[in-house]
Amino acid sequence: MSRGSNAGFDRHITIFSPEGRLYQVEYAFKAIAQGGLTSVSVRGIDCAVVVTQKKVPDKLLDSATLTNLHHLTPRIGCVMTGHSADSRSQVHRARVEAADWKYKFGYDITADMLCRRLADISQVYTQNAEMRPLGCCMILVAIDPQLGPILFKCDPAGYFCGFRATSVGAKHHEANSYLEKKLKKHPELSYEKTVELAICCLSSVLSMDFKPSELEVGVVTKESPKFRTLSESEIDVHLVSIAERE
Amino acid sequence: MAERGYSFSLTTFSPSGKLVQIEYALSAVAAGAPSVGIKASNGVVLATEKKQKSILYDETSVHKVEPITKHIGMVYSGMGPDYRVLLKKARKLAQQYFLVYQEPIPTAQLVQRISSVMQEYTQSGGVRPFGVSLLIAGWDDACPFLFQSDPSGAYFAWKATAMGKNYMSGKTFLEKRYNMDLEVDDAIHTAILTLKESFEGQMTEDNIEVGICTETGFRRLTTAEVKDYLAAIV
Repeated sequence: MSRGSNAGFDRHITIFSPEGRLYQVEYAFKAIAQGGLTSVSVRGIDCAVVVTQKKVPDKLLDSATLTNLHHLTPRIGCVMTGHSADSRSQVHRARVEAADWKYKFGYDITADMLCRRLADISQVYTQNAEMRPLGCCMILVAIDPQLGPILFKCDPAGYFCGFRATSVGAKHHEANSYLEKKLKKHPELSYEKTVELAICCLSSVLSMDFKPSELEVGVVTKESPKFRTLSESEIDVHLVSIAERE
Repeated sequence: MAERGYSFSLTTFSPSGKLVQIEYALSAVAAGAPSVGIKASNGVVLATEKKQKSILYDETSVHKVEPITKHIGMVYSGMGPDYRVLLKKARKLAQQYFLVYQEPIPTAQLVQRISSVMQEYTQSGGVRPFGVSLLIAGWDDACPFLFQSDPSGAYFAWKATAMGKNYMSGKTFLEKRYNMDLEVDDAIHTAILTLKESFEGQMTEDNIEVGICTETGFRRLTTAEVKDYLAAIV
């Protein structure tokens, strides 16, 4: 079967390869791991938590301005993993979409609809040659008025799904295996247990004990459904509790 | 689509006269999860395998069998994100038809329009074909319909068909088991058995999805109903 004039381009733009694969999309996934960071997210019975590493590459950097946790609406938060400029672009687009929904329909967008919208946008980049897929992955958390705590992830392929727990980044395979083991028996996770599971997962796969300044934690709970990031002292409380358990 | 992007098509003829991007898209479909459609005397059944790669996935958060209108539904094999685009377009096309003609869109009309969209993506500038084949089930005027729509934009009406992984053995299985007097209940049974042929592991109500289209309209079966049908097989 002759390949025609498309020979070789399947690795450069999003057209099909002979096996029916999209190489550019697969490479976009590899770009997520390039940053070297891993993020973990877990859903409890009345809360949802996102945890990510905080690596400040230069001591002169103002670490307070460097964050991967973002508010998309007051009630929907997200963690971005991957290429930082693409992440910023996707967060901005998400905020625009959420505001547009509120304007058009008069009520706040829910995290699953926002995730679906972003995934549909990402799909366009996998089908149109003139725009490359984004090299970043977004995990959204919120307390949905009907469904309770929800956790959604959308990736460069335009795929999205709800999760009980998931991870993204350099060590996401190991982190996912860890989470599968811990969640096999479908335990009921309280707020503390959820946060601790997420932190322990990262500690275990990265083989390091964290200092509060090396982690970022974002939470939504049924009692306080507004997305908030924990301060270093609050993170420390959880780290101490984990250390005492062991 | 080609306003600010590429002004030339990426899907071009090979020296042998083939459109290879479409063939590759069909490979993407053949690598997808199996799905099955069966037309019964009083309705149509769609079924698909919905296996998630790990227990961390919340299988209730996304669905493969989706309604387009009250009387038409569809399922796919291939790339999920591409399916969502076509689903959205199909829903909009159906509403646009209703706006003009003030009657629910006939299934064949919807299939013709959505296939036309799929064809555009094989010829427009700077885009690739959709990596999905669709199975569209509908009920108009006391008649059930089952159509398949391919990445090339070609569409076919079927009595029964299978797509995705191992579709050849699925089709062979259906050829043996199909007859014109099947009723919806038997068709559901047969659809599940067809999926079971190529299913690895234990089939449960959480890793398959079934939709039926009858004179009362299209609906996806609840997990409880699927469980009952599975119990009848084992």
